[in-house]
Amino acid sequence: MRRLIFILLVIAICWFAADCARAAELQVPANAVAGQPLSINVSGGGTLYLIGPGQVIKREVKAGNVEIKGEELRSAGRWIAIAGDQSQVFWVKPGKPENLSFLARPSRVPVAKPNVISGVTFVFDKYQNMVIDPTPVNFKLSVGGAGSSKAVTSRQGVAWINSSSAAKAGAAQFVASVDDTEVKRVVQQVAADPCRLTMRVAGRTGDRIIVETEPVRDCSGNPVPDGTIVTFIQTDKSGKSTVDSRIKKGIAHAELPASDNATITVAAGVVLGNELHIGGR
Amino acid sequence: MKLARILVLTCGVALAVSGGVPLLKRIFADTKPAVQLTVKNAQPREVEDVTQNAVLRDYTLAWQAISTALQNNTLQPLNENFSGFALDKLTQRVKDQKQHGLITRIIDRGHKVDAIFYSPDGAAIELKDTASIETQVLDGGKVIHSDQAQIHYYAVMTGAEDRWKVRVLESAVE
Repeated sequence: MRRLIFILLVIAICWFAADCARAAELQVPANAVAGQPLSINVSGGGTLYLIGPGQVIKREVKAGNVEIKGEELRSAGRWIAIAGDQSQVFWVKPGKPENLSFLARPSRVPVAKPNVISGVTFVFDKYQNMVIDPTPVNFKLSVGGAGSSKAVTSRQGVAWINSSSAAKAGAAQFVASVDDTEVKRVVQQVAADPCRLTMRVAGRTGDRIIVETEPVRDCSGNPVPDGTIVTFIQTDKSGKSTVDSRIKKGIAHAELPASDNATITVAAGVVLGNELHIGGR
Repeated sequence: MKLARILVLTCGVALAVSGGVPLLKRIFADTKPAVQLTVKNAQPREVEDVTQNAVLRDYTLAWQAISTALQNNTLQPLNENFSGFALDKLTQRVKDQKQHGLITRIIDRGHKVDAIFYSPDGAAIELKDTASIETQVLDGGKVIHSDQAQIHYYAVMTGAEDRWKVRVLESAVE
């Protein structure tokens, strides 16, 4: 009986020793980086599994250092290395910022409006891993070479700004950049509502009267885009005549029935123009 | 005689347990994980109630999809709930698992999720998730790794045609 207990004890000790030996058979460096080579020490040969968030590597290895190429280690995050009966969790950090996902809104905006343009940038490395560490992102908004820029440090992968539109209409270049990586978006800045609307009588044809506006501009002096509706309203004893006219080459015009005593008004959006009195005594 | 009865009973109980445990695990794997979402820290825009409910629903479905996809090596659940980089990576993971004869069983014990960014135009939301997850890796039906851990995830979701889809999902050391 004693002999049996002794044998069992020896077996148990051997088992424990073997377990301890196996515990040391897998060594993964603590600071792995996506896109950089990794060396894993495996003290016993067999199958090595590396299971990452976006990939799985399985290969037969011999005892010693196993080299994983940089291009094989693409996914940042939590990995599991398994060899024999041992496994170890290790972390792969994202590489340096090399890609930006840049959302610029809106694509068309009136000039001289405060905080109407938003730029949101998510920062990624070469293998599309989001770079969580703070990264300085430079935002630049310019029209015709003139503009402003602002540096924002990303937090948890994202950097954002709100910007006012410039006073000058045109296609604004909205650029987000990190080191040598830059992404461009175009924000079309268009004239705001007309600022001063003035019309005059441009002529008469038979029983029609032609009225037209002066060039229609916003308060910053930008021509209001062609296609904007301008409404002419003529009021006389027979009632009201309304003509909606689109601006063409900066000017809107309308033909109205000639009247011996009429009042003509003009409006575009919320802006009211001058008033003309035709005929009368 | 009594000893034989006890032996038979013990065997029966052992058989029931051995059959029941994997069954229960599978049932839990296919049920929706418990997800708690708070939005009070979201910047720069406040998250609307409707958006909060939709994000909670769709993030929960996304995790259910991960469990199903990694356990069955199928892509369909991923396509419905992921897009962009997250979809590319998880698709590759499933393909690699299939190629190497592996499956991953995720036993999801719940998520505490904080919305940390909501874009000014309402098109994208970033979440920080503390997930309690048990992971089992199986090769040919044999468990070769098992661990249980709290894992921090960053997720970016964007609005798609009829739901929010996970565009970025990345685990990181806190």
